[in-house]
Amino acid sequence: MRLFLLAVLALFCTTVFAQTGTIRGTVIEDESGFTVIGANILIKDTSKGTVTDLDGAFSLEVAPGTYTLNISYIGFQDMAIEEVVVTAGEVTLLNELRLVEAGLELEQVVVTAKAIRTTEAALMTIKKKAPAMLDGISSARMQLTGDATAVEAAKRVTGVSIEGGKYIYVRGLGDRYSKTTLNNVDIPGLDPDRNTLQMDIFPTNLIDNIVVSKNFTADMPADFTGGLLNVETKAFPDEKIFNLSVSTSFNPDMHFNDDYLGYEGGNTDFLGYDDGTRALPQGARAENIPTPISGASQQEVTDFIQEFNPTLGAQRQSSLLDFSAGLSLGNQVSVGQSDNKLGYIFSLSYKTDYKYYDEVTYGEFQRFSDPDRTDLRYATIQEGQMGERNFLVGALGGLAYKTQYSKFRLTAMRLQNGESRAAQFRIDNDGEAVGQSGYIAESDNLEYNERSLTNFLLNGTHVLGASGWEIDWRLSPTFSTSDDPDIRKTAFTQTAVDTSFIAGAGGNPSRIWRSLSEVNAVAKFDITKKYKFKGEDAKLKFGASHTYKQRDYEILFFDIQFFGGQDWPNPTPSEVLTEGNIFPNGNRIYYQSGNNTPNPNAYESNVNNTAVYVSNEFDPLPNLKAIIGVRAENYVQRHTGRDQRFASGDILEGNNLDNEKVLDALDFFPSANFIYSLSEQQNLRAAYSRTIARPSFKELSFAQIIDPITNRIFNGSLFEYAGSWDGNLSETRINNLDLRWELFMEGGQLFSVSAFYKQFDNPIELVRIPEQQTSTEFQPRNVGDGQLYGVELEFRKSMNFVSEALSDFGLSGNVTFVESRIDMTATEFNARKNFERTGETVENTRQMAGQAPYVVNAGLTYTNRDKGWDAGLFYNVKGETLQIVGVGLYSDIYYEPFHALNFSLNKKIGKNQNTSIDFKVSNILNDRVESFYQSFEATPEIFNSINPGRSFGLGLSHRF
Amino acid sequence: MNFKSLVFLLGAFVLFATSCDDEGAMFDAPMVSAPSAVANVEAGATGQSVVFTVSIDADLTASYQASGTGVTVANASGTVDGSSVTINYDAGTTAGAASITLTVTDSEGQSDEATAVINIGAEESTVLLTSNISENTTWTADKTYILGGRITVLDGVTLTIEPGTVIKGQAGTGANATALLVARGGMLMAEGTAELPIIFTSVADEITGEDVAAGNFGSPNLDSDVNGLWGGIIVLGKAPISASNNNGDLSEVQIEGIPTSDANGLYGGNEPGDNSGVIRYISIRHGGTNIGAGNEINGLTLGGVGNGTTIEHVEVVANQDDGVEWFGGTVNVSNVVVWNAGDDAIDTDQSWAGTLDNFVVVTPTGHCFELDGPEGSLEAGHTIQNGSIIASTADRVSEDLINVDDNSIVALKNLFFTGIMEGQKINRVTAAGVTFEGIEFDVDAATLADYVNGAVPAGVTAGTSPKADVSVLGWTWAAQAGGLDNL
Repeated sequence: MRLFLLAVLALFCTTVFAQTGTIRGTVIEDESGFTVIGANILIKDTSKGTVTDLDGAFSLEVAPGTYTLNISYIGFQDMAIEEVVVTAGEVTLLNELRLVEAGLELEQVVVTAKAIRTTEAALMTIKKKAPAMLDGISSARMQLTGDATAVEAAKRVTGVSIEGGKYIYVRGLGDRYSKTTLNNVDIPGLDPDRNTLQMDIFPTNLIDNIVVSKNFTADMPADFTGGLLNVETKAFPDEKIFNLSVSTSFNPDMHFNDDYLGYEGGNTDFLGYDDGTRALPQGARAENIPTPISGASQQEVTDFIQEFNPTLGAQRQSSLLDFSAGLSLGNQVSVGQSDNKLGYIFSLSYKTDYKYYDEVTYGEFQRFSDPDRTDLRYATIQEGQMGERNFLVGALGGLAYKTQYSKFRLTAMRLQNGESRAAQFRIDNDGEAVGQSGYIAESDNLEYNERSLTNFLLNGTHVLGASGWEIDWRLSPTFSTSDDPDIRKTAFTQTAVDTSFIAGAGGNPSRIWRSLSEVNAVAKFDITKKYKFKGEDAKLKFGASHTYKQRDYEILFFDIQFFGGQDWPNPTPSEVLTEGNIFPNGNRIYYQSGNNTPNPNAYESNVNNTAVYVSNEFDPLPNLKAIIGVRAENYVQRHTGRDQRFASGDILEGNNLDNEKVLDALDFFPSANFIYSLSEQQNLRAAYSRTIARPSFKELSFAQIIDPITNRIFNGSLFEYAGSWDGNLSETRINNLDLRWELFMEGGQLFSVSAFYKQFDNPIELVRIPEQQTSTEFQPRNVGDGQLYGVELEFRKSMNFVSEALSDFGLSGNVTFVESRIDMTATEFNARKNFERTGETVENTRQMAGQAPYVVNAGLTYTNRDKGWDAGLFYNVKGETLQIVGVGLYSDIYYEPFHALNFSLNKKIGKNQNTSIDFKVSNILNDRVESFYQSFEATPEIFNSINPGRSFGLGLSHRF
Repeated sequence: MNFKSLVFLLGAFVLFATSCDDEGAMFDAPMVSAPSAVANVEAGATGQSVVFTVSIDADLTASYQASGTGVTVANASGTVDGSSVTINYDAGTTAGAASITLTVTDSEGQSDEATAVINIGAEESTVLLTSNISENTTWTADKTYILGGRITVLDGVTLTIEPGTVIKGQAGTGANATALLVARGGMLMAEGTAELPIIFTSVADEITGEDVAAGNFGSPNLDSDVNGLWGGIIVLGKAPISASNNNGDLSEVQIEGIPTSDANGLYGGNEPGDNSGVIRYISIRHGGTNIGAGNEINGLTLGGVGNGTTIEHVEVVANQDDGVEWFGGTVNVSNVVVWNAGDDAIDTDQSWAGTLDNFVVVTPTGHCFELDGPEGSLEAGHTIQNGSIIASTADRVSEDLINVDDNSIVALKNLFFTGIMEGQKINRVTAAGVTFEGIEFDVDAATLADYVNGAVPAGVTAGTSPKADVSVLGWTWAAQAGGLDNL
């Protein structure tokens, strides 16, 4: 609190004493990209001077004027920067001043300030020198392109694809093999079942950099294989930030649409949380809820039913536009008369959007038992419309304090997100299909998902003078929740003679409450020692971390029953819970509980992960850099949960786990990276590492989670299936080999070719359960060993090679081709063989689930900094990817390639280009997001299909 | 340190030492207390326990002695560990008051005692079942059996149910549903009689064994259309089924209504003569609760049941899903009443190769007959004969009359449909494997074509003569309630 007050005070101080200007900058070693600590900065012809701190940063307050800066550091050539113009109340930035090692002749390097400002290549240096193959985007570049949020910035990183407008994956490997961290600390996403964090919540002006590592070094967490994306927030903003932005987006299919579907929610929906409108009725958790047969009085039963929200139907409403607004501010100030600095950032963002999908299809298809029939037949087809309303409120704050050799920072983040969804479907179930009874039903589905995330980070960095030792420690607790209160499904079954609820057909009206809360606490430290090996810079790094995660999960289920026959003269959802139909009247409706005590659909899981590592970066030969390291992780996951058998009272044969270990392994993850400099611009890299992908809490449970719209059921892997699954889901261990040639050119241009090979021991994939034919059920299983090899081509090129006139145009791209293979288990092979079609030859290998055979990212950009223009056209596609492994009657399901073509245009206007207007078009090709059942010589049939439509966005932001 | 604080410290030390002396002079006497409530146990009940609360001076140890009156104490003596002593006992066989007295003596020789009062009641008349039946068991008519979950008769085990026994399922839906499941290799010997049928119903039903013994087979409190109060009966066998999940020459799948996580739900095999026991004179009521949408429990589910099994005289009343559903198998079934089914009345799948003979169907909400074809390579058919069907009454209407698939294999013989309403039809007459013989619709002959989707087959005519012999169905609740009067 005191720090905060100090920050506020400091903010005012800088405003008041604005008759001086500030010069700020950072100094790095030209060759290694390391920061230079303790370099002398002197303003020529004055007595003003300072030394760089542990970030290589310096700050000087001077009267307005034009100066020359002299920089000197022992062992390096002196540097002079001329024509440094300082204006009252403003900051002149001189970032990444590159000191060159002193050779025989001690010449002074002289550059002008203007030249410094236009080179934007620091990240490229990091990339060139980094032990891991990485890519990223710096704050400087983000400022240049005018991207508003991290998600827009990240799509400019080669090899990164965006999913659903907010999630990121790398090299076409799915979410399971990707990971995101915030300030180098594990953070659970708002969606607890994903490894990756949503990126649309971070305003770019508070991000220092986004870095994607494509291979593992010992100082990173071992549980990623495709890519590790880290978002680093700013601690000490270079300049004062006070930014306001508003934007809106228009989708002709979704907005100002009178057919939009919604439902009556609570009064605080617009703040991203439910006000209790969807709360679980009192007493509903009891073992014996009031029903006509529970012994409760008639009045008690009626009162209890009336506690349930009577809204069961979706309503046609009018949709408005998407809207978002953001405020961000930040600055750094010198504390007192010292060179100590205080930095602060704060941002508040608010987003709301409407989505309306008028063509949503979910299909369940089967093969025929006759091997001559190669076509697929439907079991169920659901077609309808769906409206979604999303509210997101986000706040991020950070305070940082640094002396020359120490730095402390505290950041806090809070995200609150509420999404309500209303849908109407026509369900056509074909009685001729296997396991189906045949019916037509019309359903109304109402859902609400409320998520929150609160994260803190306390971080300290200490440099022990010029000794080369650096210590960094971090403590970071995160608290997150994801609740789905009152999911309602009401499906009237239509027969030739009447319309009513038929349990064996469209089902009785049901409601579900789901809740999840998770705690994630990380403590870690890293120690780095810089030293000389054979006269060259070398770096020894070691550290340890401990992560504790704990999750509580629960599903409660209720359905409507009728105490007698039904009669619906006016069969609409709004009629159902009217007084005339509630027990003891009319259709004599009451609610029955589907919940055992203890609840088989509730679990508690926790993880303790202790890691230690050591890594050494050195040059064994001239031009050859080696980074050799090993990491050990001791990972213990415990589970408390039980299966249905146990929950319904069979304590002998039922399974019950009481905080028992479901994963317990000590793993060593060696990594070796070699970088051979063919020339100043060319590197040859080779890397080997071992990584891991672990089952999630949900995957290692007895939970059976039904999707209320599609009725598809996810089964935890602890369930055994005799002959096909033993109930023991194990981790996937991966050996990675990478080879890369890279060429760096001036102005951040780059060209690289990589080849990689990955071997997967026990990969986990989602498998259709063939024994269950009435409902569609899936289970994560280890599916036999896998491997993949691929090539990746990456480039970022200015168009000046065509003509100098095109030098403002840039072309960037990343193309990956991957051949993946799973060696099937005998069970899977036999099951496929039994359903071999006439003329088909079933192989005992197949593509890996989640691995796209190719990924193409391409971007054409135009940047004219002087005129304030930035424009980009981005294309991304991921090849047909196996989504769910089919068995027997059920064929494999593949994601259809989604051709994402997006355009953005940004124009900065006004004095100092303080105002920025941006215009965006998303999904220019108007493609659909789809996945299909595929079988030998069969026309692919829809599993999921949704039309996101084309949208146009307009945004305005202003820097004060 | 100055003088004042030295004096203070010294004083504090003296005070401390003195107080220690006081403690050492006397130890607290032990205290024992018995539960205030009288424990009610059943005569002959074993493995009971009572917990006494004790307190012992922290510096001492203690032992206990327990003696029982009217009960047999298992742990009559021992040392006291902690603040409670648990005494295990078996109740005696005579009803009445009994007691256990606990005496605790500490190492200083001080003691205390307390007496717990136990009321031994008559043997419990209801038995709550929560675990699978893993050894041969008999359920007797003098008790009511409560299904507390999905109770499975395991492979190799026989469950015998005496005539006149009442079994009740607890309420619940989804994972919480209750049912009786006979796994492959398990045997159900449920042999009721026309005078003493076996009743499967809900805990909400107030029917008792005495009612049954007195000849009152109907529910005293539940209407005949109240459904979904519990699950149902599922019998699984090793007879061939025509399912898609072929695993070499063995075809086995998971039965509808049982989560795939329960391996006891698998059925099918290659033993046509498989014997799952005898089911005779049983009435199944108010069940069929759902497991998930489209996934319910039928009144009587027969999955891969072989023709070594005897099934006759079965009544299903007010089941939320189908009345009787066959999934393959070879079993023959006769003398059946399905009354007020919430979905289909008679449902066949996966090439059931048997005969349904002499039956009555009254107003299901779904199809009267939902007859599907083979799903796998096995192609076999069944015969449905000598039945009377009431397709609608004043307040209940069936979805249609006969529903067959294009690949169904069924011989339909001697069926009488009455109560036919506009819109109710035979859905298909073109299926090559379906034959119609002696099918009579209680409609005006001129309008017969309105009730058939397609050309009226020669075997379908207008007529008014019931085909089922209802005289053997007089024991059913449907008959007692007058539901079969006009047939």
